[in-house]
Amino acid sequence: MAKSDDLAQIIIGCKNGDAGCFSQVVDMYASRCYGYFYRLTGNKDVSDELLSALFVKLVEKIGSYRGGSFESWLFRIASNIFHDYLRGRQRRTKLLDERKKQLESEIVEPKYTDSERIDKLQLQLRRLDENTRELIMLRFYSQLSFKEIAKMRAEPIGTTLSKLHRGLKRLRELMEGY
Amino acid sequence: MIDRNQENLKELFEKFLSAEESTKAVEDVQKAEQILRENPTPEPDDMLIANIKAEIAMRLPLRRADVFRRMAYKVATVAAAIIIVAAISVSLLEEKDTGPEKLVYASIIPRAIWESDNIATDDAELAVLTVELEQIEAEVSALQLGENGTNGDRAVEELQMELIEINSAFWKG
Repeated sequence: MAKSDDLAQIIIGCKNGDAGCFSQVVDMYASRCYGYFYRLTGNKDVSDELLSALFVKLVEKIGSYRGGSFESWLFRIASNIFHDYLRGRQRRTKLLDERKKQLESEIVEPKYTDSERIDKLQLQLRRLDENTRELIMLRFYSQLSFKEIAKMRAEPIGTTLSKLHRGLKRLRELMEGY
Repeated sequence: MIDRNQENLKELFEKFLSAEESTKAVEDVQKAEQILRENPTPEPDDMLIANIKAEIAMRLPLRRADVFRRMAYKVATVAAAIIIVAAISVSLLEEKDTGPEKLVYASIIPRAIWESDNIATDDAELAVLTVELEQIEAEVSALQLGENGTNGDRAVEELQMELIEINSAFWKG
C-alpha cells in the first residue's frame, strides 16, 4: 500500500483529471475491492461488473472526496454499489413475482461455471446472515479500524465490535467444523 | 487513517468485556482473520483491469467538460445576481434623484418663477396677473349679459385671443 503522502498526491492527481493517477488507484485497490465483492456475491461475473461500476463511480465522485480515510470513502461507495445491486435484483425478482426467499437463495447460492471452484470459506459464509457477512468483509478487505467501521456504519463502536466478534467467532466455528 | 495494525484490540474489547473475555475475543478475531487470509479470493483478470482503465480514460474528458459546465453555470448565476442587484440599486438611486424634478414639472407655477430668488418681483407679477384675470372675468360676464351694447360674439373672440396671449406671456416667465 502506498504511503499516505503518496496516496494524497495520487488523489490530487485524480482530482485534476490525471488518467495515470486513476490508473494507480485501480492498481492499488482493485484486488481488495474485487475480493470484497466476490465474497459478498460469490459470483465472478457479478464481481467484475461491480468492480467496473465502482471505478466509474470513483471518477464521477472524486471531486466530493474531502480528505480523511480514503479507504473508508472508497469502501462506502463499494458498499452502496453492492446494495444497489441487491435492490436491482430484488426489483427484478418482484417483477417476476418470485418469492423473496428465492431471491436470497439465488444471491447466496450463485450459479458457478465449471471453471469456478467453490471454496469452503465461500460455502460457510453463506451460512452467516447478510449483515454480518458484509461487516466481516468490510473489516477484512477495507483494512479499516473498528472505530472507522463504526463511524462509517453510523453505529456505536461497541455494537460494531460485538457484531463482528460474534460473526468471526461463528465463521471460525463453521470453518473448524463445530 | 488509524492504522489497523496499531489498533489495540485487547484494550478496545476491555471497554466492554472482562479481561479474560477480552483475551478470548481477540483470539477469536485473530484466528478468523487468519482463516480469511488463508482462503484468498480470485484476483480480477488483467483484461478486466485494462478495460476499467480504458473506460476511465474515456470518461475523463466528459468529466472535465461536466466540471467546466458546472463552473460556467455557477459563474453565470453569480453574474446574473450581481446584474439584478446593480439594476435594482441604480433604479432606487435614480428614483431618489428625480423626486424634486417631478415636483417642478408637476407644479402649475412657471419654471422661471419657481427657480427665481426674487420673491418681491415674483409676487408683483402674480399680483398683476391676478388683476388682469379678474378684469377679463368681469368683461366676460358683461359680454354674456350684453351690458356694453357691442357685438357679443366678436367681443368674446377678441377676449379669447387676449387670454391666450396673456397665458403664453405668463408661462414664458
